Amino acid sequence: MSDLFLLGIAEVFQLRILIVILIGVVVGILAGLIPGFTVAMAIVLTLPLTFGMDPVAGVSAMIGVFVGGMSGGLITAALLGIPGTPSSIATTFDAYPMSQKGESGKALSIGIWASFLSSIISFFLLVSIAPQISRFALMMGPWEMFSLIVVSLTIIASVTGDSIIKGLIAGLFGLLIATVGADPITGISRFSFDLATLRAGIPFLVVLIGMFAISRLLQSLEAKEINKDDIKRQEDKIKNLKFVMRPIKTLMVVLKKPGTLFGASTIGSIIGAIPGAGGSIANIVAYDQAKKWSKNPEKFGTGCEEGIIASEAGNNSTVGGDLIPTVALGIPGSAVTAVLLSALMVHGITPGPLLIVNEPNIVGGIFFAFLVASFWMLITQFLGMKYFMKVTQIPVQVLVPVILVLCVVGTFVLNNRFTDLYILLAMGLIGYIFTKYDFSLAPAIIGVILGPIAEVNLRRAAMADPDWTLFFTRPISLVFLILAVLSIVYTVWQTYRTNYRLKKSMGEK
Amino acid sequence: MGEIIIGLALIALGLIIYVQGGDLPSLNEAFFNAGSFPRLIAGLLILLSLILILSKVLELRKRKPVEDKVSNKEKMGSFYREYRLVILTTVVFFVYIFLLQFIGFVVSTILFIIGAAILIGYRKRKEVMTISAVAVILTLTIYFFFENVLYVRFPSGIFI
Repeated sequence: MSDLFLLGIAEVFQLRILIVILIGVVVGILAGLIPGFTVAMAIVLTLPLTFGMDPVAGVSAMIGVFVGGMSGGLITAALLGIPGTPSSIATTFDAYPMSQKGESGKALSIGIWASFLSSIISFFLLVSIAPQISRFALMMGPWEMFSLIVVSLTIIASVTGDSIIKGLIAGLFGLLIATVGADPITGISRFSFDLATLRAGIPFLVVLIGMFAISRLLQSLEAKEINKDDIKRQEDKIKNLKFVMRPIKTLMVVLKKPGTLFGASTIGSIIGAIPGAGGSIANIVAYDQAKKWSKNPEKFGTGCEEGIIASEAGNNSTVGGDLIPTVALGIPGSAVTAVLLSALMVHGITPGPLLIVNEPNIVGGIFFAFLVASFWMLITQFLGMKYFMKVTQIPVQVLVPVILVLCVVGTFVLNNRFTDLYILLAMGLIGYIFTKYDFSLAPAIIGVILGPIAEVNLRRAAMADPDWTLFFTRPISLVFLILAVLSIVYTVWQTYRTNYRLKKSMGEK
Repeated sequence: MGEIIIGLALIALGLIIYVQGGDLPSLNEAFFNAGSFPRLIAGLLILLSLILILSKVLELRKRKPVEDKVSNKEKMGSFYREYRLVILTTVVFFVYIFLLQFIGFVVSTILFIIGAAILIGYRKRKEVMTISAVAVILTLTIYFFFENVLYVRFPSGIFI
């Protein structure tokens, strides 16, 4: 445990790495505050740049983007009332009214402090919980690993999107994409349909860039989105915002509400650790809970301090929570950590329960990169706020072509293959159609990354002992499978119940 | 309606994988050869897609048929207005990645950025000037950064 920290400190506290993290944080903040540019997009586009770095530097850069992105949405949420990313939807409820009262500076500073302090809280949860979980995970055989992946995918499918069946379909689609190419055990080429392009498989990152970046860009080109963008820009010009931020004074404001801060951070960390659920759910749940616990809930929504604290603490603490299953089990909690894991794989490091034992310097590096990134976020947000604001002025007409080019560069750099670019476009279109019909993309992406791991473990289990009932008789494996069934049953029951209530209330009217 | 089409497409995909998976050579595994896992997934996908289609069909039936006052032509028109840019940008993007290998990274990228921006609505003189500057600076920065720092060879066709 202690050498994990020592190694981590030694890896991260070098000038080069510190600067890399700083750049990552700034990129993340910019990505977070531009509406329509998501954190997941920023992180997939950063990845190709990190190929030339050593693993710790690459992963640190990405964690910087992650932390920065989670806090960047705050700026647009507070000043324009538009969430820069889905993770800051609840921030608009209170930060925007406060800023309209002429207290923009206060709203922003409270948000920054809440983001920072909740990151620190989730850092402590991460370092104390992740090693325990991975120690436990070391006792698991292929049966348990397979069941764990099954339960992760069903949970992802049930927490995202509008129906569990669509979520499960998306997850299975992801698993199928991953089976194209060489079989992971015998190397037999599968489903290449005699196309040279497909013989090497469909690269995970190309799927990711296509589904997250290209599809999102296509969405922002719809006529109604473009109109929205134009209207917003006209409003912007009317406003000439001037504000002062008082770091010390607002710190006291935040510290006076320890209950809200700790409560929201804990909720955020737990939600972050659940596969598939991330900042976009956490900020709303944390806000909701804070409102329930509050002595004066009627103030929520009118620009109260607690609302901003709850929302921003809720979304930033998901970073630490998200890293728990990623580091301890090799199961990414979100698309962002899925990219993080694939970055490790590019460097030949296999994520999984053995990661902490085999690569303590990398795990320690991840921990401390997160801590350092939180400090950089605090500093750059306070010092750079005035400049960050200007970025929201970049129009869609510039943004879309530029990011499309970055997607092409990112894809090409990966394997130096032209044919990958066609896969990129195809995946973008599939992702676009999926989102149009409310199939969520997270299960598909996590299916792609977990597919090969699931298959290898399933077949290893079959080789070790042909008795397939072992999946149900080994206790841990059974618990996971029961959880998977429960998560499906619970979601189906819940949808049924809300539909029933809806019908009932419609009938009464 | 869209869901039903997606469901049918996924069933078709599942069937292809299922049939192809059966033809894959098997080594001496007792079970679970190269084709088994994909077949398992494909089977589940077909099953779930069927459930999705059935539930959507039931939903459509329950809903009382609304008299369609809007003609098909008008529907197409409003669809086109909403998605015009999505379709056109996809086409331009496809042309860009197709031409990339023939006329080289730098030239095609600069042309693509300017072309796409004009297409999306950056048409005033000042705006075209801005985007041209952005295109040239960005493309050259990417080109030199990747060629000299990360040693990635970009495609060079007849131009650079």
